[in-house]
Amino acid sequence: MQPLANITPLKPAGAIEVRNVGQVFKTTTQDVVALEDVSLDVKPGRFVVLVGPSGCGKSTLLMMMAGLRQQTSGTITISGAPIPEPDPNRVGVVFQEASLFPWLTAEENVEFPLALRGIAKSDRRTRAQDALKLVGLDGFGKRHPHELSGGMKQRVSIARGLVQDPPVLLMDEPFAALDEQTRMTMGDELLRIWAATGKTVVFVTHSLTEAVYLADEVIVMSPRPGRIVDHLQVPLPRPRTYEMLSGDTFGSLRDRIWRHIRKSA
Amino acid sequence: MRSGLGVKAARIAIVVALFAIWEILSRTGIVNPRLLPSASDTLATLGDLLQRASVRKDLAVTASEVVTAFALAVPVGALIGFLIAENRYFAEVAKPLLFFAFSIPKSIFLPMFILVFGVGFAQKVGFGFFSTIFIVIMSTTTAVESVKVEHLTVARSYGATPMQTAFRVYLPSMLPVLLEALRISMIFNLTGVILAEMYASRDGIGHQIATWGENFQMKQLLAGVVMIAAIAIAFNELVRWVETRCSHWRT
Repeated sequence: MQPLANITPLKPAGAIEVRNVGQVFKTTTQDVVALEDVSLDVKPGRFVVLVGPSGCGKSTLLMMMAGLRQQTSGTITISGAPIPEPDPNRVGVVFQEASLFPWLTAEENVEFPLALRGIAKSDRRTRAQDALKLVGLDGFGKRHPHELSGGMKQRVSIARGLVQDPPVLLMDEPFAALDEQTRMTMGDELLRIWAATGKTVVFVTHSLTEAVYLADEVIVMSPRPGRIVDHLQVPLPRPRTYEMLSGDTFGSLRDRIWRHIRKSA
Repeated sequence: MRSGLGVKAARIAIVVALFAIWEILSRTGIVNPRLLPSASDTLATLGDLLQRASVRKDLAVTASEVVTAFALAVPVGALIGFLIAENRYFAEVAKPLLFFAFSIPKSIFLPMFILVFGVGFAQKVGFGFFSTIFIVIMSTTTAVESVKVEHLTVARSYGATPMQTAFRVYLPSMLPVLLEALRISMIFNLTGVILAEMYASRDGIGHQIATWGENFQMKQLLAGVVMIAAIAIAFNELVRWVETRCSHWRT
């Protein structure tokens, strides 16, 4: 008997559907349209990057996918269901710098989402250690954030996002504060982790190079009102290598994105 | 703060030197010993005073006033400070007013406390409370503002309840600032209570110190000064010790 088989017509885990989403901020003097009619489909397991100039609403869109903010119009579904509030079982979020709790050790930071759900200490510890191992921080669990480098801190953040094994990982400019070398290394690390876990990743960045290097698909957005102006497939093979950065495919993709952004800047 | 052995030794040397200079000035008669009894005499007197039932009773009275004033001022001030910090409108209205109130020397209100409460427990507790509450309000506001928005967003994105956010984000974020506030508040509190005792009171160690001064009992007076100083320093150091233990992660 398979009772579950005939009651789950849901979209596969990890699919993201954005339909005609709009966001209007009401201020005392005027209404600001932050997003206008944004529609987008992300298939499970894809690595999608959102780029665009400041104020294009890419982070806002990401926060809506995380359930941290509600759109004024349109619908967003994650794994087939709307997301009216944060749901750590469906979505893990990795924020910009400094989102780790400085009073907790790396391990305790990763355990934080589990602790909120009252999961037993020993179970928590095992899962946190597994997540830290996955991001290459085996043996650093007892350190506090101030004892870790910028790159290591972001690895801890990623481990925290992955610890509940959600099918979707949303990343809001996670490497923005890192220096160039660390940023490249972290990109490779992220791709390795992504390949190992098969998560759907939506990644917001300012960096065009980072966007093309990491993505299966790049979504380019325009500033107010935020709209999708281009949706590129990146045909570069995986694993991505440093040599690809100087190739023609890479260059022409980056140029295409840059032309969109220059127009709106 | 970790400091080397050399630094510690230098500190101890300075304290010892101060007491030595005090002793020498008095013993050699460079300063009239009737005005400045020697350090050794003063410490002997201090030992003597601590044996006396009346002095112990005065200490107990002062302690009870200090503790009561503190126990009232800290939660009330913390609550007001929290409300101010959490409500932008309230904060905008109240903050400058608080700074005004804070800048006024509290001692000028002491006569009014005597008129309202009479001379006694309530007057001293009331004045201690009044001396302390503004600094508590302002420190709590700072403490709440030290909570990072990023941390609150993280908690929310992992589905934290308001209680979990309070205990797992607000409290640990605020703890170092709160402990520091507690320490500074106690300084204000102790000053307020002792001042009230010295100004008008029938008992309490502040009253005793004032009386010894008026009667030119220099040994007792200095012993009292050393006693209060030691108590204040001890409390301060205790909280500082807790502070360093709780905020080892601060850089």
